[in-house]
Amino acid sequence: MKIDGVTIEDTFAEAFTMRVARLIITGRNAKWAREAAVKLTGFATSVIGCKCEAGIERELAVDETPDGRPGVSVLFLTQDKQSLPEQLIVRIGQTVLTCPTTACFDGLPEAPDRLAVGKALRVFGDGFQSSKVIGGKRYWRLPVMEGEFLIEETFGMQKGVGGGNFLILAQDADAALAAAEAAVVAMTNIRGVILPFPGGVVRSGSKVGSQRYKNMIATTNDVFDPTLRAITASQVPAGVNSVLEIVLDGTDAPAIEAVMRAGIRAACRPGVVAITAGNYGGKLGPHHFYLQKILA
Amino acid sequence: MVLTLATAPTHPLVADCIAADRFASLGARDIGQLPVTHGGRRARLGDFFTVTGERSATLRIAGDLAKVEGIGAGMAGGDLVVDGSVGRDLGRAMAGGRIDVQGSAGENAGGAPPGAARGMTGGEIVIRGDAGAQAGAAARRGLIVVTGDAGPQAGRGMIAGTVVVFGRAAPGAGRFLKRGSIVALGAIDRLATFRYACTYRPPHLLLLLRYLRARYQLAIGDPQITGRYERYSGDLAELGKGEILQWVAE
Repeated sequence: MKIDGVTIEDTFAEAFTMRVARLIITGRNAKWAREAAVKLTGFATSVIGCKCEAGIERELAVDETPDGRPGVSVLFLTQDKQSLPEQLIVRIGQTVLTCPTTACFDGLPEAPDRLAVGKALRVFGDGFQSSKVIGGKRYWRLPVMEGEFLIEETFGMQKGVGGGNFLILAQDADAALAAAEAAVVAMTNIRGVILPFPGGVVRSGSKVGSQRYKNMIATTNDVFDPTLRAITASQVPAGVNSVLEIVLDGTDAPAIEAVMRAGIRAACRPGVVAITAGNYGGKLGPHHFYLQKILA
Repeated sequence: MVLTLATAPTHPLVADCIAADRFASLGARDIGQLPVTHGGRRARLGDFFTVTGERSATLRIAGDLAKVEGIGAGMAGGDLVVDGSVGRDLGRAMAGGRIDVQGSAGENAGGAPPGAARGMTGGEIVIRGDAGAQAGAAARRGLIVVTGDAGPQAGRGMIAGTVVVFGRAAPGAGRFLKRGSIVALGAIDRLATFRYACTYRPPHLLLLLRYLRARYQLAIGDPQITGRYERYSGDLAELGKGEILQWVAE
């Protein structure tokens, strides 16, 4: 299959089932909501080293938020049920609670699995906190030096999908970056999906384990490193001198598919030779996103 | 289901059997047999009311109910809509559900039964008129909204919960308040045992007032929703963790 002269490899992206929460962070204005969200989702690129993956899903207008203020929705994913509340409590406590004017609400109200995040954070109020039930939901009011921090008592948790991906194989680094940037623009601000890496792009795709170091759980994806073409079982086609990866997480497989479709189409630009995807032979992750099927 | 007052009571009619959740599982005949007290004498609900409509979690009551007391007492769920004013003890010790009164209410709305330590423990009461004395007295949880004026000692002895008064709150509001909030959108005669804390924009009022506007179509303007409020802590003669939030400006 070719799109605008770019080869779409007959392969698939292999993704994993994760646990996901959606947070709605509001602020006096969009700037402060964004400030909190950026800090909250910092150092949350991969569960390999960060224990969680998180990103800004989209910016919310005032008519989309519980308190009628500008907001940002964030998706937060972990590999298991236990670590999601742990990560949320630590991170919200250090980034959203501390950020001027913000409040924090649950973005998955229908999810039956509830995480008592606000309930845990309430003790920062040292006994001066109070709760209010509004419209059947309980909120905690924590006194802070600025005034009050408001947080919903529980947050929903559901199964999500982590590790959707595709690789952009380009003639040079400039073309790869331009294609990746175009893809990210097409994949950003869409409900149900985040791109957890810096600017949405990964330059250091990894393989499981190591050929040389026993204690490494992930090392460089040498078969896609152009500089190692001559000394590995390289999968870098002729004429390709730079490879970038787009990794995406989401609330469900259809959302991942839709955003992959938009991103791959946007990445098919001059200078790009092929689009492929990372997988482990289909043995590790239950979600397989076949590129040609998605784009058909 | 609609309950219509067919025979006007000549004395106070204590009808604390009327509750949306209770009626949801009863037929018209059973409802008519429920006990009431008229002028201190035993009677049946069917002596005064007619019942129409199918079983439902939403109950509407029509007629001049100013002498009917205890409507919604102990209610734990469902919706109860009253077309007009009601007597005392509206939603007394209710635990859940919603009561929407299209008129005024007598004393002790959402309050406690005689001798009991706790008033309402959950649910919402909206009074689209004035409330008598001690609205929300000893409430442990829940919400009472008075779109008109509130009588003396609104929220007396509240343990928690919220009373919102759009009009004037008469003297004694929040007396013996332990926790809980009295939100005054109009004038309020504050006790000396409430101490000024600060002027700020309480974030939970953004939610609460927007919710009331959307859920009950109450006339709440943006200046009240996003405005600044003076916070007074009290009652300092009690635990002192309650508050009066008085709207001051946009």
